[in-house]
Amino acid sequence: MDPSEVEFISEKESISIVPNFSLDKIYLIGGDVGPFNPGLQLDVPLWIAVNLKQRQKCRIIAPDWMDVEILEEKKQEEQESKFFTKMPCDYYMEITQLLLQHAPDNIPKADEIRMLVKDIWDLRIAKLRSSIDIFVKSDVTHAMLNYLTLMELNTVRPFLTKALDHIQQLRNNVSYGAALWSSQD
Amino acid sequence: MSSSHDSRGSQNFEATGDYFSLDDILATQERIPCTFQTEVLNLGYIDPSLDSSNIPKGTKLELPFWLAKALCSRRKQCVTIDLPKHYKEVYRDVFNADANVVDLHKLGPYFYRFGSHLLHFEHPESPDIAKSLLKVFQARFRDIMDASQNAYDQDMSKMTEKLDEMEKVIFFHGQKGLKDLQMWETREGEKIKISEMVINHRKRKRTHLDES
Repeated sequence: MDPSEVEFISEKESISIVPNFSLDKIYLIGGDVGPFNPGLQLDVPLWIAVNLKQRQKCRIIAPDWMDVEILEEKKQEEQESKFFTKMPCDYYMEITQLLLQHAPDNIPKADEIRMLVKDIWDLRIAKLRSSIDIFVKSDVTHAMLNYLTLMELNTVRPFLTKALDHIQQLRNNVSYGAALWSSQD
Repeated sequence: MSSSHDSRGSQNFEATGDYFSLDDILATQERIPCTFQTEVLNLGYIDPSLDSSNIPKGTKLELPFWLAKALCSRRKQCVTIDLPKHYKEVYRDVFNADANVVDLHKLGPYFYRFGSHLLHFEHPESPDIAKSLLKVFQARFRDIMDASQNAYDQDMSKMTEKLDEMEKVIFFHGQKGLKDLQMWETREGEKIKISEMVINHRKRKRTHLDES
């Protein structure tokens, strides 16, 4: 899957905006949105928020988790935990990326948040890599990984599936050899 | 282990010999040292150093895998095979010591694939070879993963030249994952670019004009 497809999926997440125009409820396949009233906060899907923001029609309210203190805490927790911790949002990377690109003026301390999210991402990817390595070195056939987000999975997918295919083949050889041996005895 | 499991395992192994795979064709070209157990008439020309027109019993020759496989089956053994040196115990000890420094590309670019094919001969050392192949890959995996996921826009030929063909495929898949992510992060994907084909097409036209 291409990262932009993952981003497309993440655009369904809802986010709060404050519009500066009025419009009746609009009916979409994904659900009804609105009505829009100037100055009244409401929840809309991310793609609408970004689109309205691009046309200067609204102010985006940063999600609760997009806050320096919460992210610092999250980073600390991620550092200390051996396993993956639950992220405040399944699409944290994509949403940060989109919001910081299109609405940096609506996010307080945008630069710090960008750094923190990147740090958390790097921590998690490093963790993911070392767990993959442990998984490959041990002879187990399955492992459980909780709280990985789609984007994280997506970066290792092409690599990991190929590597596991190869290992599977080599394992088949081993069991084939063992079967031969026992049949000859 | 139940018998049904056994048959499935061997079926899978046979399936790795893929008729249409170019990699497989190249891998089965690798040579294996063989000893003839019977006299073969009128095939002396295979070995230029022989004077007679027949291959006498006991001649040692290196035959490609696909030929050796046909000549050495359970029913009739025209030849017996010896293991190529890269799969012998000496080399297995080297792999055990540190698989990461070994240049698998030099040891036949299809190290794993050819090794798997070798198991077909049911050599007494086969189970050890199979285990060693798996171990070698497990040991080398971390380096391949780290290199492929970290090096962005760098020359990696120093690293890739030591990789087996199969490992190279895995490496480039890792690179692709990294590249896609970088493209997304830097928002390169949003820009509309000229297709590679169109660019090359124009170039070709120009060279045509220059020639004429």
